[in-house]
Amino acid sequence: MARIGWWWGRLGRWRKIIIIAVVVIVLLLMGRLFFSVPQPHVELAAEPLFGSPFTNTMLASLFTIIVLGAVCFAATRKMRIVPKGLQNIVEALLEMLINFVDDTAGKEYGRKFFPVIATIFIFVIANAWLALIPGFMTVGFWHTEGEEQVLVPLFRGANTDINFPLALALVSFVFVEYWGLRSQGFFRYMRRFISVGELFRGISQIFRGKIKSGLGTFFTGVVKAFAGFIEVISELVRILSLTVRLFGNMTAGEILILMMIFLIPWVAAIPFYGLELFLGFVQALIFGGLTLVFLVMAVTPREEHE
Amino acid sequence: MEGIGINVPGLVAQLICFFILFGLLSVLFYKPIRRILDERSERIRVSMEQAEQIKEQMAKTEEQVREQLEDARRGGQNVLAQAAQMGERLKEEARGEARHEAEIIIARARTEIERERDEAIDELRHQFVDLAILAAEKVVSETLDREKHRRLIEEVLEQAPGGRGDGGSSKKEG
Repeated sequence: MARIGWWWGRLGRWRKIIIIAVVVIVLLLMGRLFFSVPQPHVELAAEPLFGSPFTNTMLASLFTIIVLGAVCFAATRKMRIVPKGLQNIVEALLEMLINFVDDTAGKEYGRKFFPVIATIFIFVIANAWLALIPGFMTVGFWHTEGEEQVLVPLFRGANTDINFPLALALVSFVFVEYWGLRSQGFFRYMRRFISVGELFRGISQIFRGKIKSGLGTFFTGVVKAFAGFIEVISELVRILSLTVRLFGNMTAGEILILMMIFLIPWVAAIPFYGLELFLGFVQALIFGGLTLVFLVMAVTPREEHE
Repeated sequence: MEGIGINVPGLVAQLICFFILFGLLSVLFYKPIRRILDERSERIRVSMEQAEQIKEQMAKTEEQVREQLEDARRGGQNVLAQAAQMGERLKEEARGEARHEAEIIIARARTEIERERDEAIDELRHQFVDLAILAAEKVVSETLDREKHRRLIEEVLEQAPGGRGDGGSSKKEG
């Protein structure tokens, strides 16, 4: 060992680089030759297990719930005023989340919004990270589909099943609209989307003979009504954008890792695991953060120019 | 929609999953940690207040102790001053008494001396008169009445300068 070190120390810089490259290539070739991985099969829809409607993503969701439940139970079973161990860790993390929500929504609303935001964030990040456990996507059943054999994985990250982001987006949408209605009142909140008062005022002015001013009011009314319509669309599009963003990012990440494992087994996929860890965090933050921002927008009264 | 796998059962299942997790986390995670965080911040607030109170109390106590020390010092000084004053007074009294006593003694001594001197003078005068008479008798022999003679000498003595004191001697010389 010492002799190798001495020998290594005497080598020039370029020789070192060449030797490292050769070693890596040999390792990669060995992986490719001796540990070949079956060709990945990309299936966007979640695959049902055992011929039942129960899919592998539902199983992953349940797995996430169980893991989170166990961690939380262990952490908060014996709460101490002076935190220790696991309690300390989860407390610090939750406090970061609480501060994030409070900073954005203020103390009063922060407390009310927090459970939903935190659950979205935790569910997304836990799904993303747990899906990186070896065995996800790789352990499963062989299934014959026409000519080729297809692996149906037992576990597949719930984020990659579009039903999961959609469910979260619907929850987010309903929660946002609920808080908008609750804080603003039905009529005030609805005025954002249906503002036809000026339109009708313009029409009545025209009928009463004040054609010139009536037309002006009528056109601003048309613009306002159209703006309200756009508001409705943008509100609805949020569901789509939230869903597709999470689904697309997570599915792409998963496919990327599958492909890397297939192309160059062993070490090559490791950086992408790091990338996926980061992406999972970012996506969770985006989903939770956007929901939070939409909530704040919904409870903040709009300036009325009338 | 089929291709990317949107379906109602899947959606409903994931919704249910979300609400299960929501309930689970609310009960197991948010509530206890919220409670403990609130409790801790409350406790910290109370502790800070108590610390503040204790500090105030301490400052007050210190002030009191200082005041008491000051009082004690002042009291001690007073006592010392009084004692010194009293000593002074006693000394003064004692001195006054002694002087008084001495004066009385001196006065008594002086009267005694005067009395004895007077007595001595009287005695001397008597003797002198007797002597003078004797001498005169011897000189004049019995020509003169003894009583008349005596009066005469007395007169001379009275008129003599220095009164009763030195009269005798001047008379004797004359």
